[in-house]
Amino acid sequence: MAYKPQYYPGNTSVAENRRKHMSNNVEKLRDISDEDLTAILGHRAPGSDYPSTHPPLAEMGEPECSVREVVEPTPGAKAGDRIRYSQFSDSMYNAPSTPYWRSYHAAINFRGVDPGTLSGRQVNEMRERDMEAYTKRQAETEMTDWGLSGLRGCTVHGHSLRLQEDGTMFDMLDRRRLEGDSIVMDKDQVGVPIDRKVNLGKPMSEAEAAKRTTFYRVDNVAFRSDAEVVEHVQTVWERRTRYGFKPQA
Amino acid sequence: MVRTVSVTDKTIQVKVFPARLLQPETAEKLLNEIDRVKGVLRMLIGGKNLPRKITCGPGTGADVNHPDMRVIHVGDQAFELHVMVGHVIVEVEDESILEPLKQACERGLPFSFEFRRGFFIKKKATLTDYGKYGFRSRTDERINLDDERMLGMIDPHAKPEERFCIIGAEEES
Repeated sequence: MAYKPQYYPGNTSVAENRRKHMSNNVEKLRDISDEDLTAILGHRAPGSDYPSTHPPLAEMGEPECSVREVVEPTPGAKAGDRIRYSQFSDSMYNAPSTPYWRSYHAAINFRGVDPGTLSGRQVNEMRERDMEAYTKRQAETEMTDWGLSGLRGCTVHGHSLRLQEDGTMFDMLDRRRLEGDSIVMDKDQVGVPIDRKVNLGKPMSEAEAAKRTTFYRVDNVAFRSDAEVVEHVQTVWERRTRYGFKPQA
Repeated sequence: MVRTVSVTDKTIQVKVFPARLLQPETAEKLLNEIDRVKGVLRMLIGGKNLPRKITCGPGTGADVNHPDMRVIHVGDQAFELHVMVGHVIVEVEDESILEPLKQACERGLPFSFEFRRGFFIKKKATLTDYGKYGFRSRTDERINLDDERMLGMIDPHAKPEERFCIIGAEEES
């Protein structure tokens, strides 16, 4: 029987969503064109070539190395792309993803990642074209609700704040906002205006966000209501405490 | 006789904490409802900062132009919101004002809110205030302010004209 990763325990909808994010088995909800994505990332002009930091690996004449032969470089590394980042901020009011699960999604399903996981935001550094592919996956699928999440390179403030009256997460730099029934973004992730209004689709309703979230909340799915998860977390902490602090003992 | 430092009367302070951050229209409606309640002495608006310019990152210096940074009208005054209103601290004369104040908040807010009584705005002048305003005279040690209700309303280092307004001054005079 083929090995099937289990990813995460639990019987609640939150545990199921966490498994979905880790396994990349996520539903695509919207289309964002490559040009629009490049514009909101703000690292290069849409349609321009990828600037490089070194010549393509094929032209560099790499030394003989068994590891290099075994590990196929990512497309970005092969072409010599620059390292660039994307950073998401997620509201604690039932945003679909959390910083940890964005990092799990990146580390399990993509190569050449350097995720940084913070309390209210998650940054990931990769080769530029690899980073765009990764960001596109997270931005187009159920991992992101653009009302409750945001692409924010700086001034990420919003994760732990109350929502605005229109149900969206506060954005100090007004990069994206609700216009009609859609979220539009007319600045890049660091707040510099761009030459277009990128339509990021409809935000999720409160009920849908509660269904798709990976946040345990007392007013939705409480962490303590999932006995299997509690047992798992306690086991991890117990073993970490017993053996992690002093493995030789 | 040397006069001692003056202390404001025994007033009651309440923090109105809505379930959502307020859009300018709702904030305007709420503040006007509170302003109409007889016995309200001071209101202090707090919330999330809306900067004029980006202050960090590669976009530093670019204009933000936040659509919620709008001029609102409260009573006979108009002022520009520098925050997305998250809470309003209200000081009232005595306990009998609390119920009308709560009803005003219910009329002004379309969603639930917390109504917490506590001590939020200082009532006595501190060393920093004396450092800024000084004594009235050699023999009068009260703080050198025409209206002591200003105490605790703004940071002592901030410019009052940008952050402070007196509503209903014409009616009083």
